[in-house]
Amino acid sequence: MTAYVVRRLWQMIPTLAGVILLIFFLFNWVGGDPAQVLAGKISNPEQIANIRKQLGVDEPYWYQLWVFVKQVFTFDFGRSWSTNEEVSRILLTRVGPTLTIMVPVLIIETTLAVTFAIMVAYVRGTLTDRMIMIVCTTAMSISFLVYIIVFQWLFGFILGWFPVQGWSESFWKNLSTYAPLPILLAVAVGLAPQLRLYRSFFLEEINQDYVRTARAKGLPEKKVMMKHVLRNALIPILTNIGIYLPSVFVGSFLLEVFFSIPGLGREIITAVNRSDFPVIKAVTVYLAMLTMIINLLVDVMYKFVDPRVSFK
Amino acid sequence: MKRLRLAVLALAACLAVAHPALAAEKKVIRMAFRTAETGFDPQKIFDRYSVGICENLFEPLLTYDYLARPVKLVPLVAEAVPQPEEGGTRYTFRIRPGILFADDPAFKGKKRELTAQDFAYSIRRFRDPKLASPYEWLFENKLVGLDELAVKAKKTGTLDMDTPIPGIEVRDRYTISFKLVEPDFNFAYSLAMPNVVPVAREVVEAYPDDTMGHPVGTGPFVLKEWVRRSKIVLERNPNHRGYELDTRYADPSDPWDKAAIEALRGKRLPVLDRVEIYPIEEEQPRYLAFLNREHDLIDETPFEFIEQILPNGKLAPALAKQGVHVFREEAPETTYDVFNTEDPVVGGYTAEKVALRRAMVLAHDRPQEVNIVRKGQGMPAETPVPPGIVGFDPAFHSPQQEYDPPRAKALLDMYGYVDKDGDGWRDLPDGKPFTITYKYNARTQEQRQIAELWSKSMAAIGIRVEAAAVQFADLLQDKRVGKFQMASSAWTADYPDAQNFLQLLYGPNTGQSNEARFKLPEYDKAYEKSQRFPDGAERSLLYREMNRLILAYAPWRLGVHRVFNHLQYPWVKAYKKHPILYTNFKYLDVDVAAQQAAQGASR
Amino acid sequence: MSAVLTENTPPRAPQESPGLWTLAWRRLLQDRVGMVALAVVILFIAMMLASFTGLIARDWSKESGVSYANPAFLAGQENLEAKAVAAGGAVSKAAPVDLSDVDPLAPRYKEWEERAAKIAVTETKRAETLAFGGDKWGRDVLLKVIKGSEVSIFVGLVAAVLATIIGTFLGAMAGYWGGKTNDFLEWFYNIFTSIPYILLILAFAAVFKKGLDTIIVILALTGWTGIYRLVRAEYIKHSAREYVKAAQAIGASHMSRMFIHILPNASHVILVQLSQHVVSFIKAEVILSFLGLGVPVDMVSWGTMLAEAQNELVIGKWWQLFAAGASMALLVTAFSLLTDSLRDALDPKLK
Repeated sequence: MTAYVVRRLWQMIPTLAGVILLIFFLFNWVGGDPAQVLAGKISNPEQIANIRKQLGVDEPYWYQLWVFVKQVFTFDFGRSWSTNEEVSRILLTRVGPTLTIMVPVLIIETTLAVTFAIMVAYVRGTLTDRMIMIVCTTAMSISFLVYIIVFQWLFGFILGWFPVQGWSESFWKNLSTYAPLPILLAVAVGLAPQLRLYRSFFLEEINQDYVRTARAKGLPEKKVMMKHVLRNALIPILTNIGIYLPSVFVGSFLLEVFFSIPGLGREIITAVNRSDFPVIKAVTVYLAMLTMIINLLVDVMYKFVDPRVSFK
Repeated sequence: MKRLRLAVLALAACLAVAHPALAAEKKVIRMAFRTAETGFDPQKIFDRYSVGICENLFEPLLTYDYLARPVKLVPLVAEAVPQPEEGGTRYTFRIRPGILFADDPAFKGKKRELTAQDFAYSIRRFRDPKLASPYEWLFENKLVGLDELAVKAKKTGTLDMDTPIPGIEVRDRYTISFKLVEPDFNFAYSLAMPNVVPVAREVVEAYPDDTMGHPVGTGPFVLKEWVRRSKIVLERNPNHRGYELDTRYADPSDPWDKAAIEALRGKRLPVLDRVEIYPIEEEQPRYLAFLNREHDLIDETPFEFIEQILPNGKLAPALAKQGVHVFREEAPETTYDVFNTEDPVVGGYTAEKVALRRAMVLAHDRPQEVNIVRKGQGMPAETPVPPGIVGFDPAFHSPQQEYDPPRAKALLDMYGYVDKDGDGWRDLPDGKPFTITYKYNARTQEQRQIAELWSKSMAAIGIRVEAAAVQFADLLQDKRVGKFQMASSAWTADYPDAQNFLQLLYGPNTGQSNEARFKLPEYDKAYEKSQRFPDGAERSLLYREMNRLILAYAPWRLGVHRVFNHLQYPWVKAYKKHPILYTNFKYLDVDVAAQQAAQGASR
Repeated sequence: MSAVLTENTPPRAPQESPGLWTLAWRRLLQDRVGMVALAVVILFIAMMLASFTGLIARDWSKESGVSYANPAFLAGQENLEAKAVAAGGAVSKAAPVDLSDVDPLAPRYKEWEERAAKIAVTETKRAETLAFGGDKWGRDVLLKVIKGSEVSIFVGLVAAVLATIIGTFLGAMAGYWGGKTNDFLEWFYNIFTSIPYILLILAFAAVFKKGLDTIIVILALTGWTGIYRLVRAEYIKHSAREYVKAAQAIGASHMSRMFIHILPNASHVILVQLSQHVVSFIKAEVILSFLGLGVPVDMVSWGTMLAEAQNELVIGKWWQLFAAGASMALLVTAFSLLTDSLRDALDPKLK
């Protein structure tokens, strides 16, 4: 077990190196020149050269890459080129609002999806099942952009059930006032695909021999579902949540932009638009690490959910 | 310290909740900015939103009268607007004694008075290579001795802040005199710019890494809270001396002036206790937040929604019933498209080359730009100089940029731009086919539609224009180094003089602000000559000459001067939009009872 | 973790493969929802082809109506925008400035006027209403939706095919060869999945020039990872099977074993993935267009229509948002249901 974890951690290094190389190549080498944005309305080539020098983008590429690597290991990405804010602070302050939206979304979505999925799996093949699946499919086929535009207008303005946009410092106020509409939207869009997926997991389990055996033994169908099917379907569900988890930290930039949520998604868009390389680098590296660690945790968790899994 | 402040804030918040009556007395305004700010080090910023905040935190020597139109320069921390001395090369200011900076730990608990030295320091900062100020050009080749310091600074890396130079002469604690390299009758304007303001050296040195987040000035407000790109909170500066509204230059027949004078009579400015600003980049939420009364006013209402606000040019009944006011502003800015005059296809000064550009200008469907893309919220530009700017000529009009496809086609036919290979598109006089690339910023719908219009209008006369969406940084770079054929651009006034716009085509400014890389000896001569005159008939004549040359050689296709509609709820008092200054918080008042009644009702 | 997943998929007997497709087709024919979905998809593709060949919606860019022309069923509604356009802006009444002393074109002024006078101006009458309303410029929204389907479906299909090819090829390599190849490709896969999707898209968008081909390349380059994983698992499973060993015994080359023997047996997985990716790429195009990375200005897609229509709902001009949103929803729903039916037909045990 420990050996497995150590090996997995060891394997993260080449991946991280690859992430660094890719991001460096895409943004530093071929991306926009931040000095142009920072130089203002009137400036001459000399001033631009001066700014480039201060940012360090006039150094040879290998040197800039070296600086990047150093930053990764010291966890110090310096300051944003556009607002001069410490990058670590940007990440720390922006991840809160994103999680305020995304964690409830994850919880509500998973609970609803698992509940509904087991219900429709129970009545599989009936008209109800088909209808629910068609409704779900339609719901997930509408563009997220359309959802946001229509719901913000309808619920925020016409009906006035929620504020149109906004954010405050108080976590409870955010959760009770500003977050509900974005959460509702995210769940509306995300529920259907999850439900479909989980339904298929349940169906897969229902077809397994052990379920037939259980039924043959005369166990009531409900008990079979709750005890055997649910337990075994939990593994793919967990995997799926594991895959989904890193995106919880990124959040949805569309939601954040339309509802004025000061989260990470919005920050990424601004950073790219302003060629704010320190922010891009930091966000990517941290999220990449997070993704890898979450993946590891999910794999370790299998052990507890499913004793058949062994670490090789 | 920080934690303590947080605790105090939290306590205050609890108290505010516990005692609604206490909160009720506070005069608060909430509004949105269209774009996120970058920071508040006045010498380091250039975007108008950040500069707009600085207007409230800092005070320049001079400013503009709130009510006077056309704009009028008035003293702020200086005692008077100086007369140019020594043929327009010397300006001397006396600073009012007793003006205090806002409190800051850097002052170690003492009150800090504003002195002439602070101005000397702050102006030198513009040339500090460490700062890389985007407004460095303001003081380039301007003050005697400063350029030499800047040259030296290039070697050492930092500017010498202490050695006296003849260009910036601190005569005593309250007197500062500027000596210019050559005459400049617009110099006083640059000392009214909201970023040419004094900062305290102790503060800058106390927070060397984050001057953007530690603005300490003498302005009427202080930065209370700043969640970058998300929330800016200003609160009244307790150290501010306060002043009364100057009504000398008001127009007694103007309803806005009348209302402002009425509302502020006998009051000490600033009246507001708190201003909360939220950057919202999408238009739907920004607009709906105002309609929902989450915000008290909306500046620059998205023109997509204009027919809902002003159907048939009149305020919509639903808004009128709530008492909403609309302030229409012809903004001191010009949108335009630049031709690269060094480009082998669209550039050049011969009749044949000029003909192509002129034909493109004539065939561009500007009525559609104004009426459809901008929903009528723009005045077609006749010259680069927008209204409200000294040197704007309302009588200047020319059919050379009126939409006229037949004349465009005739011109192209005359100079040999005809379809020679039979593919349906016109070719160059030498028979080669050509496509013109138009570069624009991909992020906004407005820009996309302008690009669409180019492609469409040119296809109608047989010229292929390919619109290329590029990232903002790339667009700026390409324009600066001349790596484009045609590109979109815009300019907003830094100071209210035509020179600020006409310099955009001055030959020696190529590589800086002259994106067209336009070099016409006649134009340059007229420009240089115009700088030697103060405002008057001679200078106007020269400006007119330059405007005629721009039309004749068409280095630009002139777009529009945009018209903005600013809306306020009736509880916002004394509102008036200033063409140069971006904000007006220090003059606003709010009827708290009406505000709370209305906002309570909507929630 | 995929090893865990595949552990749970029911083992498929290789001898089933010869009749797989015929059987699947028969099962699909019995699936009513699937057939309706198939019909809708075929209809959309037919529409796209008809538009591509210019049979329909050829003059979609013609401004035949007034600005925001009402839909025919709302003929009487007041159209403030069109009224404002008709009223036009103020025209300067000042006397024209004489340029003749500075103008390089001045010597030929007279000829210019004469030639211009000969060129006729054709004024087209703009309709007050259009079948399903007009956009800002007065173009028919219905034609735009049809023309937009062309770009949207094309982008979705081609990008999905491209992503599938990349994913299948790399997945086959990793699964078949294992060892170093597998390690290298897994490394590559991990890099791509560790970077947040939106950042990956923006990064690629920053690198390439903007255009239709770019969107396809971006979507394909960022979207192959899921397919790779599944195909790899299939190949790991199959390369150990007897029929592959038998092929080896009769001297089939590696390439032929990979792509002639194993590929058909993994093709049902690939097909389902392909159609799933078409759906997600059609949706992703909207986001790209919203970010301004979308299609060029002289083309139209559902994404550019939605981005354009984002402010139209508030002013009551809902038809463009509705038309683009609904057509997309219809196609995507049909495509997803078809995918479901396809999967059910290919893998009846899941039913």
